[in-house]
Amino acid sequence: MSSDKKTTVKRLIIFLILAFLPFYIIIPTMWAYFGEPVFASERDDAAIATYCIGVFGMMIPSAAQLITRLATKEGFKNIYLGLNCKGRMGYYAASVIVPLGYSAIAAVIIWAFLFDGMSFSDAFGNIGIQSAGLFLLQLAFSVICFFHAFGEEWGWRGYMMPKLMELMPKPAAIIVGGIIWGLWHAPLTVAGHNFGIDYPGYPFVGIGCMCILCTLMNAFLTLITEKTKSVYPAAFCHALNNNLSFGVMFAIFGSEAAIDKISEVDAIVGFLSYIWILAVVGTVSFILLMKKDKRNKQVLDKAA
Amino acid sequence: MSGLLYKNFRINRTSLLFSLITQLLCSAVILLVCFFQGGKPFDEEGANSAVLIFSLLYYLGSMLPAMATSEIFRTDEGKTACSFAMALPTGAKGHVESKYYFILIENLIIMFIGFVTDTLTVALTGGTVSLTMIVVMIFCWRMMISSVEIPFMIRFGSQRGMSIKGAVVGIILMLGWIWFLFGDISFLLDSDDPFEAFIEFMQSGDIIFWLSFFPYISMIMYYLSCRISVKIYRKGAETYEQ
Repeated sequence: MSSDKKTTVKRLIIFLILAFLPFYIIIPTMWAYFGEPVFASERDDAAIATYCIGVFGMMIPSAAQLITRLATKEGFKNIYLGLNCKGRMGYYAASVIVPLGYSAIAAVIIWAFLFDGMSFSDAFGNIGIQSAGLFLLQLAFSVICFFHAFGEEWGWRGYMMPKLMELMPKPAAIIVGGIIWGLWHAPLTVAGHNFGIDYPGYPFVGIGCMCILCTLMNAFLTLITEKTKSVYPAAFCHALNNNLSFGVMFAIFGSEAAIDKISEVDAIVGFLSYIWILAVVGTVSFILLMKKDKRNKQVLDKAA
Repeated sequence: MSGLLYKNFRINRTSLLFSLITQLLCSAVILLVCFFQGGKPFDEEGANSAVLIFSLLYYLGSMLPAMATSEIFRTDEGKTACSFAMALPTGAKGHVESKYYFILIENLIIMFIGFVTDTLTVALTGGTVSLTMIVVMIFCWRMMISSVEIPFMIRFGSQRGMSIKGAVVGIILMLGWIWFLFGDISFLLDSDDPFEAFIEFMQSGDIIFWLSFFPYISMIMYYLSCRISVKIYRKGAETYEQ
């Protein structure tokens, strides 16, 4: 292994330790304090604690990146903070349209397969001027107030992924990066954040599902980050994925009956019913990333 | 562009620092109020008052960068600075865009402080007071105001630009006053509690729909303002010298 690669590995390990450690300490501590999985708790103070974890916890990877850069004297080259919009506006548009698209499709699929024949008008009876306003406000809020999503993306896509792609081929980097990202969520998943705690195979099935989800999303997020050489599109996409998920779509456009129904749906079943949309998004992103690689290789061969 | 942006941060570091200190002080006041509440949730009346007072404090915190906007342009109004800006490889375009980026970043930092404060407020008040949307709206309002005032400052210079902006705001306020005197404000006056009526009015479906366009309009206005400012910079630079 060359000394450059050794340095990259060293930096990556320091970054990962700094990114992983806080959650792996905070969540068990909170579990001990509240005496139950904190995200599954019905206590008011636990809900407040989870809200704070959600906001500040997402900023950990960015903090880890900054500390790593300073500690290893790496400097601030390739920090992916430029906008680079020129000729790449399509990727910026995709960062907003794609998460909205898969959330909307997921909502329709869940209605079609899990709502026991409830008609569309009964399920989405709340479509109107007020819900449209709420949707537009939520959309604007997610894009403008993207700090927590930026906190994650600047660490994962802006630091970890370029390092992984330096060490291994892109397909492997995307899978490894996705799994690392999924495992970072593991303490939260065990504490009931993503799928609750009442599902068969808890918590390992949940952690596995999270790793699959993160790997698929990682492909798309890496694509838009690499094409724009900017972390902002990924941050917008991540913010929209969190703030306008299919559950929020139901909360905005769904009738009360639909909201009751969606709260009864098992989180893992819900996940399995829409993961294939993300699989399509992930696969297309993967192909597009590889296509660029192939083209670059051809250009290099010609030049040689 | 990064060089020009650095130049803006370097030249305006004092005003930026003051803006941040003001916002941090406002945030500290908000957090102290929540802290002395003893970590207990506000009752409904207390929460309504807290929302009003905290909104004013957030607005106050965002006011200083607004007042310092003219300073950002005044530093580059000299003959040498204008010639330098136009001789750059990025030209006047890069120079003007860097100013817009600087103001955007400054306001984003202030919104970030507001956002963190709001998260802590939610935690300290047991979730009874949350102003995230108001923090975002104040940011959009700042963007909208900047998008109106910057082209004036670019075209007529910071001093005259501010005066013209003042006149425009004065006219708008006067029109608002006329509306309050002669327009249909029955939705406010027919109620025993105008504040409650105003909140109800704001919460009605139609208002949310129209309000939802505000962030988009402010962002589009900011972008268009930048494009206009780039176009009028050369003409404005000639005026500064006179």
